[in-house]
Amino acid sequence: MEWNGKKRLLTAIEGGATDRMPVISVCQYATYELMEATGAFWPEAHRDADKMARLSAGGATVLGLDAVRVPYCQTVEAEAYGATIKDGGQKHIPSIDRPAFALGEEPKIPQDFLARGRIPAVIEAIRILKAELGEKVAVMGSLVGPFSVAASLVGIAPFLKASLKKPDSLLPYLEAATKTAIQYAKAMTEAGADILVIEDMMASLDMISPRAYKKLAAPYEKQVIEAVGGTAPVILHICGKLDAVMTYIAETGVSAISVESAVDVHAALEKFHEAGIRTPILGAVHPIHALLEGTEEDVAAAVRKSSEDGVSVISPDCAVAPATTIANIKAMAEAAKKIENRG
Amino acid sequence: MSEGKERIIEALASAVLNMEEDEAASLASEYIAGGHDAYDAIERGLSAGMAEAGRLFEEEEYFIPELLMCADAMNAALDILKPHLVKKESASQATVVLGVVEGDTHDIGKNLVKIMLETAGYRVIDLGRDIAPKDFVRAAEENGASAIAISTLMTTTMGGMEEVVRLLEEQALHDDFPVIVGGGPISPGFARKIGADAYASNAAEAVRVVDNLVNRGTAERIAV
Repeated sequence: MEWNGKKRLLTAIEGGATDRMPVISVCQYATYELMEATGAFWPEAHRDADKMARLSAGGATVLGLDAVRVPYCQTVEAEAYGATIKDGGQKHIPSIDRPAFALGEEPKIPQDFLARGRIPAVIEAIRILKAELGEKVAVMGSLVGPFSVAASLVGIAPFLKASLKKPDSLLPYLEAATKTAIQYAKAMTEAGADILVIEDMMASLDMISPRAYKKLAAPYEKQVIEAVGGTAPVILHICGKLDAVMTYIAETGVSAISVESAVDVHAALEKFHEAGIRTPILGAVHPIHALLEGTEEDVAAAVRKSSEDGVSVISPDCAVAPATTIANIKAMAEAAKKIENRG
Repeated sequence: MSEGKERIIEALASAVLNMEEDEAASLASEYIAGGHDAYDAIERGLSAGMAEAGRLFEEEEYFIPELLMCADAMNAALDILKPHLVKKESASQATVVLGVVEGDTHDIGKNLVKIMLETAGYRVIDLGRDIAPKDFVRAAEENGASAIAISTLMTTTMGGMEEVVRLLEEQALHDDFPVIVGGGPISPGFARKIGADAYASNAAEAVRVVDNLVNRGTAERIAV
């Protein structure tokens, strides 16, 4: 049986044994060196489908990862809703300058949502990646989770304050963000995405309480996961501390959970085991300590540590810093290739 | 009547801690009507309440939304107390230039650092978010700052911090303006690597670290 990145990753997410440990970057992995190597640069690669796909393909062809992904930032949905976006130039990713709505305003979903902003480019990039690499590596379409999209619709500070005193006022935004996430996710799988990544970075215990996660984030993540169920596995990525909510996250029905090294993976897996939960955990090579600042040996040590903690797939904790060297990311991939995965 | 004064000061601290904005405002009005010194209410009421909120945050009893609401309660009372503040000529009040690096528009953490620094008695020059490296340096010079505090939430924008330190070195200003960095992806190791002088992991810790930086001077700067 011939192994390749796609089969390896899909098998590992299902809990099966593979020829060796799969290695991906759940979040963005474009670096300045990768832009040089592929000839596709920010900011064009944020908007132009060909360049987006070319830079992304470098994840497999240059870095040696088992999956590629698009896009590179977390502002695509907010822009489609009408937020003002600040271009990040060559060095930075786009950011939200002014949110689309003021808290209290009705969050109208644009009728042509999937035709707005950079969504068509992301969908087209998935199609290109699927055609060029789809036989060998997994193509991942990444969307932002409903909690985080809703927060970006009205601004993070007003959203978080309301989450405490007037949580009901947030429901229209959460519901709209859920509907558009389902539309967008389906468009991604129709374009050929093998796996969906949901980045719900604001639903972190660095930001909100476990109670708020359970009430305002998990139910909407679950709706998206249920709606796309069967079409593609879903990896849910949440930043920061999560120990107190790992079981809630698993209960969304997600196929795999991507975590940072702030999470006690070993303890979470033990808790899962007791509760009969089989959801695999992905991670958790620190993008700064190991990948950006560390030596290749530091990176390899971080990979081995994650494996010993019980992850099923090696991935950086979070977005790779763009100043990271190709050599260090390759070192992550090489270290993973030396590890067995018995499932 | 000082008994009434102490009671209100205590109640102000509780109102901040319990995120009661209206209560904080009405207590502040009552306090001013009683003719008490506004400074005491800020120092021992509002700041004490906010410091306690910071402690609960470090213990993971409070999260970011709670801190934001505490800050709203504090600001509601502060708006009423401030006009009655008898300006104390304090030459010793140190200035901190604060901002979020270029390319990053997340400013919640920076705003919390500002509140904690101000309640600890610092004059804060808040540059806002998405700030070019050279603007940190210029603001520090113009305001005779004792420190520059820089924040970012994203791994993709951390490079801007290094650029600030580089500019300071280039203009031989780094000894005058020590740099403290913080924010989600920042670590003590990163701070050391880019030549920053200190690191804080959250807004409450930032006050202690800035205290150290400002009071000890260059020679004894704490190790990052």
